[in-house]
Amino acid sequence: MTKTINEKINDLKTGVDWFYSDDFDLSKAAEKFETLTSLAKEIQQDLDNLKNDIKVIEEDFSK
Amino acid sequence: MEEQQVYSVSDFQAVCNQIMETAFTGVIVEGEVASFKLNQGKYVFFDLKDEQSSVGCFMMSFALRFPIEDGMRVRVRAVPKLTNWGKFSLTIQAIAPVGEGSIKKSLEMLKKKLTAEGLFDPAKKRPLPDNITKIGVISSTQAAGYADFCKILNERWGGLEVLTAHTQVQGMTAADQIIRALKYFNERGEVDVIAVIRGGGSADDLAVFNDEALVRAIAASRIPVITGIGHEVDESLCDLAADVVASTPSNAAQMLTRDRREIKSNITADVERINNLLNVKIIELTAVIRSEITRLVDGYFGKIAVIYNEVSNNWKILEQLNPEKVLERGYAIIRGDVAVGAQIEIMTKKQEIEANVTNIKERK
Repeated sequence: MTKTINEKINDLKTGVDWFYSDDFDLSKAAEKFETLTSLAKEIQQDLDNLKNDIKVIEEDFSK
Repeated sequence: MEEQQVYSVSDFQAVCNQIMETAFTGVIVEGEVASFKLNQGKYVFFDLKDEQSSVGCFMMSFALRFPIEDGMRVRVRAVPKLTNWGKFSLTIQAIAPVGEGSIKKSLEMLKKKLTAEGLFDPAKKRPLPDNITKIGVISSTQAAGYADFCKILNERWGGLEVLTAHTQVQGMTAADQIIRALKYFNERGEVDVIAVIRGGGSADDLAVFNDEALVRAIAASRIPVITGIGHEVDESLCDLAADVVASTPSNAAQMLTRDRREIKSNITADVERINNLLNVKIIELTAVIRSEITRLVDGYFGKIAVIYNEVSNNWKILEQLNPEKVLERGYAIIRGDVAVGAQIEIMTKKQEIEANVTNIKERK
């Protein structure tokens, strides 16, 4: 299932936090960094492509 | 003489009313209030006058959306009527104060009343929901304020579903239209938040947002309401009743959305930060490894030096103990029995000598 942009942003945040946590492991860091860089690019593309859907309700509120 | 139609008094009064209703469908009249009174808490009577004329007015108290008192200038939408007693009056459908002084006075009276009821209690305010995906907007789609709202919304964020209820945002019917739109959103419960939007205008233009019924409808909304009405200096009773107040329509759009440019910039900074962090960690680890190698090398050669010294010392001792060294110093080695007549062997540095023992004496 495709993740929402907010979920992706949360994933990125968790990934960045890992680098500052006690779980940090240099042997895994390069791979993690690659993954996060790809995710960051994906989010930036998503952000550029997001469009709002603005609809005017047909209901007549004057009556 | 032509035969003319003869009316009964009641018929004549009915025909007059019919003609007036047709001629003046919801006529708008402006004037000053005089002799205001409320009977039985339900019926409102007052005169509407100017310098030359005066007309009696009647209305039900529920239609009184702003506090009114003598001396106030008001605008009414009314139907003219000839009463059963032959008195001409206006049956008021809607009324609103006009002119800065009247609007201000009416506003103060209503604010005092609603504050006392707790409608503006800060403890009742709800924050905007997190992760807003669906917004209900109440505004005039032709208004500049609405265009500003949509522009900022689209610039800042995307993926939102925005349902706009097009209503009037000024004039005597605007309040009821906005109330219907609030009811529409609340009945369906589809949106996360309702934004009431209207750009700047005169005090008269914005007076609708001090309508008592509208203020109550905003306070009663089950869905959180944000208002973005007028300019920064304008404050309406709807603002006081709303959960969140934005200073302008653009500001409302800002408060409802995150800024995609800011997020993109933060993401770039995050990636750069962990890249730098990774480099620092690698540099730190390299330094640790170098230090360990140096320690290892120093330890290895240190140990070798100690062993070398020990061997060297032992070698010197061994050399001193070598019999050849003793012979070099002029001494001789004698082998054989120490007895008179015994044959012995004498070894010097250069010779090996055989000899007989002829005498033995003890040393003194």
